[in-house]
Amino acid sequence: MSRIGVFVCHCGENISRTVDVEQVAKAAGEIPGVAFSCDYKYMCSDPGQTLLKKAVAEHKLDGVLVAACSPRMHEKTFRKAAEAAGLNPYLCEMANIREHCSWVHEDRDMATAKAKDIVKLMVERVRKGKSLAPITVPVTKRALVIGGGIAGIQAALDIADAGHRVVLVEREPSIGGHMAQLSETFPTLDCSQCIMTPKMVDVANHPNITLFTYSEIEKVDGYIGNFQVTVKHKARSVDESKCTGCGICMTKCPKKKIPNEFDQGHGMRPAIYVPFPQAVPNTPVIDRENCTMFQSGKCGVCAKVCGPGAVDYEQQDTFTVEDVGAIVVATGFKLYTIDRKPEGSPIQGYGEFGYGTIPDIIDGMTFERLASASGPTGGKILRPSDGKEPKQVVFIQCVGSRAREKGISYCSKVCCMYTAKHTMLYHHKVHDGQAYVFFMDARTPGKGYDEFWRRAVEEEEAVYIRGMVSRMYQRGDKIVVMGSDIQVGVQVEIEADLVVLATAVQPQDGADLLAQKLGISYDKYNFYSEAHAKLKPVECATAGIYLAGACQGPKDIPDTVSQASAAAAKVMTLFAKDKLERDPVVAKVNEKYCVGCFACKKVCAYGAIEEKEIRDRQGNLVKKVAYVNPGVCGGCGTCQATCPSKSIELDGYTDEQIMAMIEAL
Amino acid sequence: MNAKANKNQVTCIEPDYYQAITEAIRKEAVKILKDETVVGVVGYLPGRRKGTASPALVTTVEEAEKLIFSPACVNNLSVYLTKAKKGVLKQGKVGIVAKGCDMRALAGLMTESQLQREDLFIIGVVCPGVYGFGVERTGTLTEANIARKCRECTVHMPEGADVAAGTHAELADLTPEEAQEMARIEAMPQAERWAFWKEHFSRCIRCMACRQVCPFCYCEQCLCDKNRPQAVESSPRPAGNMAWHLVRAMHLAGRCGGCAECERVCPMDIPLNLLNRRMAQELKELYDFEAGLTPVDKGPLNEYKENDDQSFIK
Amino acid sequence: MHVEVTKHDFEPKIVAFVCTWCTYAGADLAGTSRMQYPPNVRVLKFPCTGRIDPVFILRAFQKGADGVLVSGCHPGDCHYMAGNFHARRRFAAFRALLDFVGVDLNRLQFSWVSAAEGGKWVDVVTELTERVRTMGPMPEFKELEHEEQWSGAINTPELKEAYDSIG
Repeated sequence: MSRIGVFVCHCGENISRTVDVEQVAKAAGEIPGVAFSCDYKYMCSDPGQTLLKKAVAEHKLDGVLVAACSPRMHEKTFRKAAEAAGLNPYLCEMANIREHCSWVHEDRDMATAKAKDIVKLMVERVRKGKSLAPITVPVTKRALVIGGGIAGIQAALDIADAGHRVVLVEREPSIGGHMAQLSETFPTLDCSQCIMTPKMVDVANHPNITLFTYSEIEKVDGYIGNFQVTVKHKARSVDESKCTGCGICMTKCPKKKIPNEFDQGHGMRPAIYVPFPQAVPNTPVIDRENCTMFQSGKCGVCAKVCGPGAVDYEQQDTFTVEDVGAIVVATGFKLYTIDRKPEGSPIQGYGEFGYGTIPDIIDGMTFERLASASGPTGGKILRPSDGKEPKQVVFIQCVGSRAREKGISYCSKVCCMYTAKHTMLYHHKVHDGQAYVFFMDARTPGKGYDEFWRRAVEEEEAVYIRGMVSRMYQRGDKIVVMGSDIQVGVQVEIEADLVVLATAVQPQDGADLLAQKLGISYDKYNFYSEAHAKLKPVECATAGIYLAGACQGPKDIPDTVSQASAAAAKVMTLFAKDKLERDPVVAKVNEKYCVGCFACKKVCAYGAIEEKEIRDRQGNLVKKVAYVNPGVCGGCGTCQATCPSKSIELDGYTDEQIMAMIEAL
Repeated sequence: MNAKANKNQVTCIEPDYYQAITEAIRKEAVKILKDETVVGVVGYLPGRRKGTASPALVTTVEEAEKLIFSPACVNNLSVYLTKAKKGVLKQGKVGIVAKGCDMRALAGLMTESQLQREDLFIIGVVCPGVYGFGVERTGTLTEANIARKCRECTVHMPEGADVAAGTHAELADLTPEEAQEMARIEAMPQAERWAFWKEHFSRCIRCMACRQVCPFCYCEQCLCDKNRPQAVESSPRPAGNMAWHLVRAMHLAGRCGGCAECERVCPMDIPLNLLNRRMAQELKELYDFEAGLTPVDKGPLNEYKENDDQSFIK
Repeated sequence: MHVEVTKHDFEPKIVAFVCTWCTYAGADLAGTSRMQYPPNVRVLKFPCTGRIDPVFILRAFQKGADGVLVSGCHPGDCHYMAGNFHARRRFAAFRALLDFVGVDLNRLQFSWVSAAEGGKWVDVVTELTERVRTMGPMPEFKELEHEEQWSGAINTPELKEAYDSIG
């Protein structure tokens, strides 16, 4: 027989005004297994708590029910008091007779009857309750950052500066990402590389950061505090430990006419190359698909000219396993292309813009490279087809974005601002040129943003036309842009020398595959999903994994940096303690009866359920059962409701507790 | 109805048809036992009484040559892999004779990690139907003796089996008795429906044959046998009976392959398959889910879509 | 702020299964806002609607509930991401089943009540209570509780003999 104590609170008059607390206490005392019951003016006050503690000792109580306000108000208070009295805190419960009773009912008799019922139900819950101990999970204080753009760099630097070790993994041969490609940045028009490259160098020199470029995530095991991440280091064909970065291999490489990805294909690079002069690390990589040595077995010039003997044609992909406690995902974005899209793709190309076959229709990133002093034209705005300076440039916003019929309904957020910036850069470089912008809306929320946009329109002479472009085609060396000006209500036709499309921001290729490895969720566009749109914008639903930058959704640089620092702060919070303490309201599996249908695994939103093999002493497989990782379980109990045999049970909300409460109805 | 369907529709299925399937099964079973593809074949042997058949696990060529298929082969053999002969799968790959409805059960069991496709050699039967209960067993299948579930069969072709025995034939112009019965019940006023089921359930003697025969009731401990807490009263009283049948239908929702074995074995003639069908119908309407011949990643009640119907929620 | 309390002939027993993060908090808000609603409802708190098993609803009816409410977070607001999505499917199926066996679905209400919707909580509870009140007590499951396997009548000589022999 249990020995439960029931304490009925008056809450001053808040409860006792409509509920006869004495009667409730008396009725509680008559419930079998209730060893003590009383009522008191303010249970949460010091004397009230002392009363509870004394009663636990005097009456040897093995469970406590405080009938008072909402548990959301004072459950912690009373659980602490119970714990101080030597009881397990989870054996202390609250019956809500204030918010759910005295405050919402006027009829004293009925309210009292209801309060008695609530107490009766909750006594059953206490009776069937179990002692629970907080779950502790050890934490490896080392973080993994995936992606070496500005988001990943910022997060890595912040975490490293806090004194924790960081592994930064970048898929390309250099870190820097898209920000390194930009010419000048809004709204201040400062040179992107001038502010970016010092950070890249900081990463390379930071004692706490291990940098893996030209590497990818192969596999992710483990859970918060304890991830084991397999990193694939793609063969560079250049030994990083030997290479001095002198660059002679690149100057001597006979194959020099390969379109440079960094310049959006508009500059050329050799087969052995660094993506751009300020690359970090400054170690070249051989593009095996374009290297004569790899394609025909003849050449070997780079190996011959390399003083330290760093070129290694035999190099293989290698794998390392990194133990980390937290992961920041910062894989960034790519730009939508107007090309014809593969069959079955939900996203459509732009036939009306010639599907990308007209050479002088370029995207915003290409324009960045044209405007960049380090770009293929040395910072001169010259059009790709014939290298002439364009005198009429048309900028088109929302290409792909906010175009449901093209398969993307979201706003790419940065295009309004960078298009305004482009018109300014163009105006600064081509004084007699004219920029036109087709736009739906100008969305400029952000510090100094609207002022910047107005400057483009009012001072830098860009002509903004509200409307969409319906068709573009080549006529001679001009591009005819046919659109509408919906404000004036007329059709517009412009003969442009160059057209710049503000194409939609999309997640990087393979974002979905990485998400599957990480066990995080993503939306229909493959943007990663945060745990809560408002209150957990940085955390993934999977504990210990955080998001930074445009992989979560289109973002500009200030937002990206903010989120990266926020993700870093989350990681530091996690690393602040040696052990992670979690609420013990988690699911447990009864391995004896689990038959391994894994319905629980299928419904678990946390990926907390794994398959576990049960073997006999000879090592023969007896069966597979579910196993709940208590470090990951969120405690929703969906698994238990799904399990046909109830072989998985949520502590704190067991079937026994709930059924006992229903029986007491 | 298309021309192809018409072509395969006949007025009766002669014993020859079943004999041809029998030959094909024997040939295949002998072959896979001989070349040690499998350690045994779960199939049907002739029953002791004429015109009957009983399930069996055969492990030798001699036994395999006795395997049969006839309208009396009513059992869903998949239950032999998860319950009755569970151990045999540990010894190696197993052959199994499966009608379309049995294959749906096999697929479901694969979905639920109870079976692995690579552990099975499925001898699919192009089944025109089997006997109903309490009918005349003449060896010929007709409108008069075909089982109720077979009247609306959509899985005559055992697609996805390793081999298929038989050629497509089905009885023409069968009245969809079960669908009619469903419609009749659904048209009843609510109180009458309650009375209908109350009467049926109150006859239940809780022999648990429905559970025993169901391929999906493979739990080691049934919720309904638990006593801490007791969710469902275990004695055969109307209250517990109602709860048991509702829990059963709910647990099978989105899983049941429609073999109707529960209904066949019920000694009290409770139309259990109607409950399963009603659930299947609802899941089809709401989530476009139908039990199929191949395993799926998640059943309809183990997944969701953000825009699922919620017209019933305030 | 006294309101007239009307006495009714029939006070239905309403059981509410609610999630702790949204609806329980919404009910708390109704309290802190001093809204009024019929005192017939008994609230059982769950972490999430995803935890609520149809068996609980069944058991509640068997134990004398005249009406049952299941309420949780709005879609997309689930504290556990997806519990309410799973619950939505589960209860859609369960409703169909109850309807098929002849349970009046007017006695079973589902709702999304957020932590900010104290008013909606009051509306939902009031509406269900009053609706069930006009419907009267739910006889179906309660009757079953009291019925025995046979008709209950000792109406054959064999039964009579057996009954008498019990002593």
